[in-house]
Amino acid sequence: MAANLLSVINVAAYYRQQVGTSIKTIKAVDGVDLYLYEKEILGIVGESGSGKSTLANVILMNIKKPLEFVKGSVRIYTGNGFLDLNSMSVEELRTKVWGKEIALIPQSAMNALMPTLKIKRIILDVIRSHQDRINEKEVVEKAAKRFRELGLPEKAIDMYPFELSGGMRQRAVIAVATLLNPRILIADEPSSALDVVSQRMVLKTFYDLLRKNIIKSMIFISHDIATVRQIATDMCVMYAGKIVERGSTDELIRKPLHPYTEGLIGSIPSVEPGIRERKLKYIPGQPPDLSNPPTGCRFHPRCPYTMKLCKVKEPPMVNVGNKRLVACWLHVKR
Amino acid sequence: MKLVIYLLITNKRFIIGISIFLLIVLIGLIGPLLYPVDPLSFAGPMEVAPCRRYPLGTDTYGRDLLAQTLVGTRTSLYIGFLTALVAISIGTIIGTLAGTKGGIIDEILMSITNVVLAIPGILLAILIASYIKVRSVEVIALLLGITSWPWYARAIRAQLMSLREREFVYLSKMAGYRDIELAFKDLLPNIATYTFMAFVLYINGGILSEAGLSIIGVGPTKGISLGLILQWASLMEAVRRGLWWWFIPPGAIITVVTSSLMIVSVAMDEIFNPKLRGR
Amino acid sequence: MLEVKNLTKVYELGFVSKKRIIAVENVSFKVEEGEIVSLVGESGSGKTTTAKIILRLLPPTSGSIIFEGKDVWRDVRKREEKINYWRKVHAVFQDPYSSYNPFYTIDRVLKQGVRLIGINPSSDKADELINEALEYVGLNPSEVLGKYPHQLSGGQRQRVMIARCWIIKPKLILADEPVSMIDASMRVSIIELFEKLRESYGSSTIFITHDMSLAYYISDRILVMYKGRIVDEGPPEDVISNPEHEYTKRLIASVPRLYQKWTL
Repeated sequence: MAANLLSVINVAAYYRQQVGTSIKTIKAVDGVDLYLYEKEILGIVGESGSGKSTLANVILMNIKKPLEFVKGSVRIYTGNGFLDLNSMSVEELRTKVWGKEIALIPQSAMNALMPTLKIKRIILDVIRSHQDRINEKEVVEKAAKRFRELGLPEKAIDMYPFELSGGMRQRAVIAVATLLNPRILIADEPSSALDVVSQRMVLKTFYDLLRKNIIKSMIFISHDIATVRQIATDMCVMYAGKIVERGSTDELIRKPLHPYTEGLIGSIPSVEPGIRERKLKYIPGQPPDLSNPPTGCRFHPRCPYTMKLCKVKEPPMVNVGNKRLVACWLHVKR
Repeated sequence: MKLVIYLLITNKRFIIGISIFLLIVLIGLIGPLLYPVDPLSFAGPMEVAPCRRYPLGTDTYGRDLLAQTLVGTRTSLYIGFLTALVAISIGTIIGTLAGTKGGIIDEILMSITNVVLAIPGILLAILIASYIKVRSVEVIALLLGITSWPWYARAIRAQLMSLREREFVYLSKMAGYRDIELAFKDLLPNIATYTFMAFVLYINGGILSEAGLSIIGVGPTKGISLGLILQWASLMEAVRRGLWWWFIPPGAIITVVTSSLMIVSVAMDEIFNPKLRGR
Repeated sequence: MLEVKNLTKVYELGFVSKKRIIAVENVSFKVEEGEIVSLVGESGSGKTTTAKIILRLLPPTSGSIIFEGKDVWRDVRKREEKINYWRKVHAVFQDPYSSYNPFYTIDRVLKQGVRLIGINPSSDKADELINEALEYVGLNPSEVLGKYPHQLSGGQRQRVMIARCWIIKPKLILADEPVSMIDASMRVSIIELFEKLRESYGSSTIFITHDMSLAYYISDRILVMYKGRIVDEGPPEDVISNPEHEYTKRLIASVPRLYQKWTL
């Protein structure tokens, strides 16, 4: 039984926005439970407005205005005990957690590299932000070794970001983010801006990190199911701020239980024979406004199987066996 | 659009800044009418400190300083406004032509811009001062405008060059818009906010520059402006001699006007650049 | 109907020591009436540049574009002729954010379409056309007219662009990444609109995309572009199962499949 590394229980985070004279509350993450185990790559799949990027920040407890942490607990299990991230100060998080226990590669990280700094400088800056004293030479040596391990050319450290191709840049970002060997790595859309060939290399890099035990587990967030399924052992699907389904990747794709997952998978084209005849489907309507989400199940306005109950009461997350979780009235046994 | 105006009106800084500025404008416009004393003619005893008869005292020539300050405010504001008008006009035309036409026209216009940018305004002013002995305020405003448009033209050109590649410009072109129509309907509205801000900055610059020119003696020779009051004050060594009522009022007004306009432009920057908006 | 012959576009930078960038190199292909063709390639492959040249927005360095027998760059010169061309060849662009001028409501793009076909944009006939166009693409006119671009979703904005095409009814539509910025679950509904346009009045579409899976699903023919050249061409089944060029082989191997997992 693999060790539990992360427990996210009933977590909610809202954005408070000033619109004209009033304040709008956007319930980006509204009651999410998540568990992460060693040697697992958990894929979080969701489309625009699902709250997946917000969830990534919440797991890290990287909460900045206008985002507010509303309720819940985020607990990580370290080598000797556990830490409750939701009750730690930013200073404590910065020195003890970020980069060392959990690392986040946010969206567009590869575009956020300061163009006038060499990679070496960026590495030093990153490490300095998590450790008060550093030995520069040691850090650079360690980085060079890590680059070699991951198949990146060592000379990349002495280059400027624009001198590297997109794929290389992203892999360099990954190498830097995991330099302090965090137990958990969270990557938010790490390969969406890359061409497919680079994308595959990036995925391989993540796999290598896990295989070489540099990280113990990973959360891969993306809207692209076909990409996520290539690397994720388990997947969970997010819709309108909630997780609607979870299970092993193969099972989820072959037999989706939640109507949203079903619709999503049915709408994805794939370079596989038979797809052209299959006729892709789409989900009518659009994601709900999270400042005023629908009553009951948030998917009911677009669901082809809506029942009366769905409009009134939110379905609970049920375990249908074999670590398969669904939040849908269709699967709740009476 | 309406949202922008609404945000502007409710922004505290903007309100404070614009109120102060409009107050000064009011003083400049109405003041001389309510206090119809000729600022340049003999009004009473020389170098009298402020009292009931002469609220801001008199200068070495016995001229009423309150009258001078009021008319001076009006003149300085006028010069600032005129400078802005000249600079924005020239800058917009050149920047738009360079940014939208590109090619050889762009090269020529940018060369001209660079040359004008390199000309030191003060030297030009001194040159003009030595050739034209009688200089009206309009001449000075023209001079200031002509020497200060380059940075704005450059900025407009840059903005337009990036706007040119936006898809909505292509779509308008494919819908049959002529170049001029395209420039007016698609491009200009998007640089309007920048132009507005630049206008405010130019008014500021104009008032300050005029004061600077006047103090060293190359400002207008006709009329009276805040800078000219300060010139007289410095010539007569008002500071050393403690005639505080001579140089403090005009200096204070210049400071207040430029500060208020600065606050206004900061507020506008906040609104127009959504990233700077607070929560 | 459309023939691209030896199209080349070279960019030269700098004054003294010129640096040459070959964006498009010797590209040739044909598009027949009623065909849906995809130009597949990664960013920098030259596909968008090719599209702009076909759209008569960017001049070629050499080569020609022949549309209905006329050379688009040499025979179409006067303003009238250009407008005529754009009535027959039009575009739907990728980025739903900069396809619209944020100062105006979305009505403007539709009114522009009406104007292009010679109808007075403020007439009743224009309003009729606009309403019909919006309904054709599955939008409710009252929900969409009078709104500013930021008030609509990406999907709605793209549909309005397609509605504009319905008004103009061009013979050839160039769709540059029309659904890349749209949620996967909604893409098909928008892509199908292009097919609908083809069925309704026989328009052809050139899809420009980096998404091989999407191209595989919707095209009659796929053209693969790499570094400015066309390296593979053919019906989707052929290109996928028998890729000829090295790049195409690599590309196909790297496309993530839904039901198959890579060994990493």
